[in-house]
Amino acid sequence: MKEVPISTCEREFILKAIRDRKRIDGRQTYDYRRLKVSFGMERGCCIVELGDTKVLAQVSGKIEEPKKNRPTEGSIIINLELSPMASPAFEPGRPTESGIEMNRILERNIRDSRAVDTESLCIVAGEKVWSIRADVHVLNDEGNIMDAASIAAITALAHFRRPDVTVMGEEVTIHSPEDRDPVPLSVHHMPVCVTFAFFDQGEFLLVDPNRLEERVMDGRMVVGMNMHREICTLMMSGGMLLVKEQVLRCSQIATVKVAEIIELIQKALDKDAQARQAGEKCGFAESVPANKITTNKKEPTLIDTTAAAQQASQVIQEAGPVDKPMSNMIVQAPGTAQIGEGLVNTWQIDDVDMESEEEEEGRKKSVTNGKEAEATSKPTERKRPVKAVSHADDSGSEEEEKVMLYQGDAEMKSTEDSTALQQPPNSDKPAKKKGKKKKAAQK
Amino acid sequence: MADSVGKVVIPGDVLSEFRASEKTSKVALGPGLRQEGEEVLVTKSGILRHKEPNLYWIDCHQRRYIPAKGEDVIGVVTVKSGDVFRVDIGATQPATLSYLAFEGATKRNRPNVKVGDLVFAKLLVANKDMEPELVCIDSGGHSAGYGVIPADGGFMFHSSLNLVRKMLSPNCDILKFLGKNVPFETAVGVNGRVWVKAKTVKDTIVVANAIASSEHMTNAQIRTMIRQLLDKLSGF
Amino acid sequence: MCHKIRHPRYWLILPFKMAGLEIISDQGYRIDGRRSSELRKVCARMGVFTQADGSAYIEQGNTKALATVYGPHEVRKGRGKIQHDRAVVNCQFSMATFSTGERKSRPKGDRRSQEMSMHLRQTFEAVIVTELFPRSQIDIYVQILQADGGNYCACVNAATLAVIDAGIPMKDYVCACTAGFIQDSPLLDISYVEESAGAPFLTVAMMPKSEQIVLLEMNSRLHADNMEKVLDLATQGCKDVFAVLDRHVRDHVSESHALMTAS
Repeated sequence: MKEVPISTCEREFILKAIRDRKRIDGRQTYDYRRLKVSFGMERGCCIVELGDTKVLAQVSGKIEEPKKNRPTEGSIIINLELSPMASPAFEPGRPTESGIEMNRILERNIRDSRAVDTESLCIVAGEKVWSIRADVHVLNDEGNIMDAASIAAITALAHFRRPDVTVMGEEVTIHSPEDRDPVPLSVHHMPVCVTFAFFDQGEFLLVDPNRLEERVMDGRMVVGMNMHREICTLMMSGGMLLVKEQVLRCSQIATVKVAEIIELIQKALDKDAQARQAGEKCGFAESVPANKITTNKKEPTLIDTTAAAQQASQVIQEAGPVDKPMSNMIVQAPGTAQIGEGLVNTWQIDDVDMESEEEEEGRKKSVTNGKEAEATSKPTERKRPVKAVSHADDSGSEEEEKVMLYQGDAEMKSTEDSTALQQPPNSDKPAKKKGKKKKAAQK
Repeated sequence: MADSVGKVVIPGDVLSEFRASEKTSKVALGPGLRQEGEEVLVTKSGILRHKEPNLYWIDCHQRRYIPAKGEDVIGVVTVKSGDVFRVDIGATQPATLSYLAFEGATKRNRPNVKVGDLVFAKLLVANKDMEPELVCIDSGGHSAGYGVIPADGGFMFHSSLNLVRKMLSPNCDILKFLGKNVPFETAVGVNGRVWVKAKTVKDTIVVANAIASSEHMTNAQIRTMIRQLLDKLSGF
Repeated sequence: MCHKIRHPRYWLILPFKMAGLEIISDQGYRIDGRRSSELRKVCARMGVFTQADGSAYIEQGNTKALATVYGPHEVRKGRGKIQHDRAVVNCQFSMATFSTGERKSRPKGDRRSQEMSMHLRQTFEAVIVTELFPRSQIDIYVQILQADGGNYCACVNAATLAVIDAGIPMKDYVCACTAGFIQDSPLLDISYVEESAGAPFLTVAMMPKSEQIVLLEMNSRLHADNMEKVLDLATQGCKDVFAVLDRHVRDHVSESHALMTAS
């Protein structure tokens, strides 16, 4: 099936947002989406969710003859399956080029870095060894299946238990799980991939690109790394050019991300082990909440508000004692309101938007409970012009509007702000989209 | 089966009772309903809706768009071929859009449409046997809000058809309430595509996410959500 | 840059597992007698075939590769691939059945070769000025005649020469080189023996003048702190390769120019 074409509008917007250091899902540049690792009933089965991307890995083992040239080593096979179920972009049949590339990265990351000890998989040298196979199935592709697949594969390998085997002379016995506890594979280290997406010829980079970002990006770099800061794979390609410093920077970022991810995997493994030990329920059925619409659910995203909180507390401290806890909003005429005793508005009154903004502001203040907001409303505005300059970027639109009330005496106000405010936003534009819905400003 | 308007019906259900109407004795069946001999069968799962005097249909949570005549859609121009553009509207087939179907367009004066552009258009022809056809003018030859959506700063996102219908319904608050607090422009295509543009990139992202997450919320919840969002905007 | 070259199949007579085998001797020499930051001998020749628009042959030590370039020509088979704003680059990598110690049953089409073809394509898409030839196709066919480590590098270097021979505009040369990290010291231009010792090695393709990396690939485990050293060495290697290739190109061009003006 053909994939939905991406429009210039989407492409331009995503690029513009990235140049502004913003992402459409509200994440920061180096943030991962919500990562969730859950295990199935069976050993060696694991689902990894990275935002809406979902990948399942199942590990299985069988006994076979070793390769001639490595008679004492078992084998690890990793197979990445991109079924058309996961995305309209995947075709059934032969694996695509990108599928092969990802499969090779997985193999290199896990097998070639000797994450799993293959010599311990030997039963009888030259005759019988374990062949461990990890099947990684992509269930839903919302971008960055590489990272999700690598996490799923290594977690499933760490979760897997193979039947115990004893050799008595010529005789090989495979014990059933009831007979003897199955044994885990010896996983030396856990390599995990971190994908970087590059934009504008490598000028901007993002961690964990989602589907749209993947379609817009110039190229990507995959860094596979383990806890010990050892790079297990590195792959950069896709028609873009980088310099050495960017590569090194990526490996630095990857160090931090990998540590976070591995901690999470370890926690999930420990929790599962405990649940199994205690005989509690485990498996996928437990991890999916009942009676919920899951297809459209949105996980809560944490937005970092510490900067704002700090600023607010600083403002409160500077403000000193508050004499009047209540903000006195004066309604001068219907539709016009004033908070505090600021100077007379020097702007032309034809700014209908501004007044309603003020009114809105006043209303909002009364809505936000807690004294904090009310306390700040009056005394801080005196200091605001100084602040407005230093925080011109990160202060929200609300604050900008607040400053506007004192336009008359705030000389430091940057010119671009005032020009932006001078023209009433949108209201005098020709009603372009009124065909369906047109929301120009406040009416 | 008793009157099940407003209730959930599933494929295979038989509708027997229809509300009587003074005006007509006929019954019009909309999407999701089908007459089999003497019976009226349900073919989609969803909520049975009724509109006076005699229209019945099923409100179904669906993601794939089935074109219907007269609906407003947002499409992506994929190919320019001869005197038509091919536009992807998310339906089974790409729709065609004649280059003459723009305001003020003549054979000499072709509209400036590039591959990859978004167009807001009305479906002129939509039936199962023909390619859907779009127009960007009303019957009087005016643009009436249709046309190419400029790519400067706006963002389009995909949603379920249900959310789009919800947004357009007169008793949904999301656009009204959001617009009061954050000024923005929007174009809503019933094919599950929503284009928004606010003053800044940040505002656009906020508006898009607010709309996308409002699908399963009541009006009261939407208001709370938007208020929380505005409070957090300062820390964003 | 010339070294003692042993029997081309010397790895056959070596024990398969390099147990106890020293990759670097106490005196700092490698198995084939090189220093740690020395390249193998590079021999190149351009314009080796008459049919192809461009062709080249390269030897890097015992690794030998042949590259031919056709194009830009109209897009054959699969017209859906046509790009309206640029040329499509089509690469095919193959290894001759006799190129390795053990006879290869599948010269092309296995996963490794497909991956290699894709990497070659990505490399050359980034370097060839494809915007100049919309709705056309450029074919690059590369074959490894003898494999002794650094196959990708030999392919890239040969293909670069072939593309230059074909007169297709490029932003810069693209040169490739490997660098490994064995016994706590970085090694340049890894041979097969060193490759199979299981030590980490990095493959870099870059535009040597601007030091911009076009492709980067790494195998096995390398500590992040050593990354810079290895990358620096590989960069130096690419520049060395560039110096050799540039000489060859200049010689070739002046030679053919002399022939043309003489007649």
